[in-house]
Amino acid sequence: MGIYEDLAFSTAFVAYTAAILLSVWGFAAKHEHVTRFADYITACGWAANTLALILRTISAERLPLSNGFEFLVAFAWGIVLFYMWMRYRHRLQAVGLFLLPIVWGILAYAAVEMPASQKAITPLMPALKSNWLSVHVATAILSYGALAVSFALAVMHLVKERYAQNKSTTSRLYKNLPGMDVLDESCYRFITIGFFLLSMVIISGAIWAEQAWGSYWSWDPKETWSLITWLIYGACLHVRQTYGWRGRRSSVIAVIGFAAVLFTFFGVNYWLVGLHSYA
Amino acid sequence: MAKKPLQQITTTLASMSSAIYILVIIGAISALGTLIPQGQAPDFYMQHYGGLTGRIITVLSLHRLYQAWWFLAMLLLLCLSILLCAVKRLRRTRSVLIFSSLIMHLAIILVLGGAAWSLGYGHSANIELAEGQSVSLAEFGFAPGQLTLDRFQIDYYPDYQPRQYSSLLSLQGYQGQDYHQEIAVNHPLKAGYLKIYQSSWGWMMQITTQAADGQSKSIALPDRSEYWLDQSRHLKLQAIFVPDLDETRPGINSLSPLPRNPHVLIALVEHDRVIGMNLLRAGESAQLGEYKFSLDGFSYYSGLNVKEDRGVYLVFTGFFLLLAGMLVRYLAENMVRKAA
Repeated sequence: MGIYEDLAFSTAFVAYTAAILLSVWGFAAKHEHVTRFADYITACGWAANTLALILRTISAERLPLSNGFEFLVAFAWGIVLFYMWMRYRHRLQAVGLFLLPIVWGILAYAAVEMPASQKAITPLMPALKSNWLSVHVATAILSYGALAVSFALAVMHLVKERYAQNKSTTSRLYKNLPGMDVLDESCYRFITIGFFLLSMVIISGAIWAEQAWGSYWSWDPKETWSLITWLIYGACLHVRQTYGWRGRRSSVIAVIGFAAVLFTFFGVNYWLVGLHSYA
Repeated sequence: MAKKPLQQITTTLASMSSAIYILVIIGAISALGTLIPQGQAPDFYMQHYGGLTGRIITVLSLHRLYQAWWFLAMLLLLCLSILLCAVKRLRRTRSVLIFSSLIMHLAIILVLGGAAWSLGYGHSANIELAEGQSVSLAEFGFAPGQLTLDRFQIDYYPDYQPRQYSSLLSLQGYQGQDYHQEIAVNHPLKAGYLKIYQSSWGWMMQITTQAADGQSKSIALPDRSEYWLDQSRHLKLQAIFVPDLDETRPGINSLSPLPRNPHVLIALVEHDRVIGMNLLRAGESAQLGEYKFSLDGFSYYSGLNVKEDRGVYLVFTGFFLLLAGMLVRYLAENMVRKAA
C-alpha cells in the first residue's frame, strides 16, 4: 500500500468509527442534528474510501477488484453507498447503528487480520485478464452492499419485534426504531435490488468461466455457495409474494441469506479451502 | 371423484410449496457437496472418513454428487415443478407482473435445459501439441480438420510471474474453412460451434535412446515425466527441463523461467532408485548404465482444450432472459408502487 492510499484508508476508518459513535449518541439522546452530523461524517468516510480505491487504481494501473483485500475495501464502499442512498431516499432512523459496525468490522479485518502479502498490489494472472472481471466484481460489491442493508433492516425488525413481544414498548430502543411495516417494506426492496445484482454476479462469472476455461459451471465451492445464496433469496421473495410471509419470518430468511453471503466470501476462502487442503 | 395418481402428482408439483421444498433440498445437498471433497478415488474416502462413512459416501456417490443421477433427477423435478407453477399462474391472471415472472421461470428452465444439453451432447478433449506439431481433430471425435500449433509464447511480468500464455494456431479444412489465429487465456478460437481454449503448457524434449544392443529410439518426453525403457527390469528414464541453469552455484537451480541457458537433467531409474544422471545441452549425449541418451532438441508444448457444445447458447439465452425478466418485473413493481 502506498502512503497516500494508506492515509485515505485510515481516514475512512476513523470517519466510520466516529460516525458509529455519533449515531449511538444521536439515537440515544434523540438529537436529530447529531444524527445528521453522523451522516456527513459517513459521507466524508465514504469519500476517503473512494479515494483509497482510486489511488490503488492509479498505482496498480487496473481496477482495484482483484484480490481479497481490494474486494473488502470495495465491499465496505458498496455497503456505505447503499446506506447513504437509503438515508437519502427512505430516511429510516438508526440503520447506521446496525450497519456501520459491519463496515467497521470488514475494514478492521482487512487492516489487521489480512497478511501483508494479500494486501500487496500483485499483477493479474492470465485467467483474471478479462473485462468480465470488472463486471463480475463490481456487481458483487453492489449486490453485497444492498444485501447488507437488507440484513441490517431485518435485524432491526427482529429487535423491534422482540421488544413488542416482551411488552417493553416504553423502552427507548423500541420507540426510536422505525415502524415494523416500514422496516419490512424497505428490507424487501433492498433484497430485490440485491437479488437482481446477485444474478448478474453469478451470470457474469459463468460467462467469464466459459471464456477462460470452456466451462460455465463447475460446482466449485465458491460457485455453489453463491448459488445457495441465490436460492435462499429467491425462496424469500417467493414465500413473500405467494404466501404473504412478512415480518419475522421474512426477516429471519434475510438474516440467513446475508449469513450465506458472508460465508460465500469468508467461509469458502478460509474454511472450505482449509478443509480441502489436507487432501 | 378420486383423482388419478398422475393428476395428483401434477397437482402436487404445480404447487409452489413443492417447488420451494425441492429448492431447499437441492440447496442443502449442494452445500453438502462443498464439504466433501469431490471427484477423488474411492480409497481416499475410506482413508479420510473411515470404513463406514467412506462406504456411505461412495455408495450414494456423494463424491460425485453433482453428477449423480438422483441429483440430476432432482433438478429435472425442479424444472417440471417450475413449469407447472408458471402455467398454472398464467391461466389465472394476466399482467405485466405475471408475464415477467413467466419469462424468468422459462429462462431458468432454458438454463437447466442448456446444461442438460451440454452434459448429454457436449464434447471436449485435451490435446497437447509441441510447436510445429499437427493433429487431426477427427481422431478426437470432432468434425475433420487439421490443427497445427505454429508457435507458443509466454509473456512475463518483470518478476517472472506469467502475464499471458498464447498459441498461434492453424485450423485447416474445418467445415470447409481455414482459420489462422492466436489464442490466449480468455481469448479462445471460435470456428462455428467449435472452440479451442488455451489451458496449459510445458516443455517437450526430443531424446534419442540407444540400448546396448544398438537398438535406438526417438522419443518426445514432456517435462517432469518418465519413459519406460524396460518394464521387466523396472528401468525408466526421467527428464527435467532446466531453462536457465545457474552455473555460479552448486546444485541445479534455474535463474528464470526463460530458456537462456537451457539444460536437461536426465536420470536413469531402476526400482525407483536413481542409478545415474547427467545434465545435457541440446546436441549433447551421455552414457548412463547400458544406455546412451542424446538430447536432440526441446520446444514448448501447448495444452489445448477443444470443445463443441451448443448447450452454451441455450444457457446464455436463458441468462439474458432471466435478467431481462427481472428488470421488467422490477420496473413494473416500481410503477405499481408509485401509482398506489
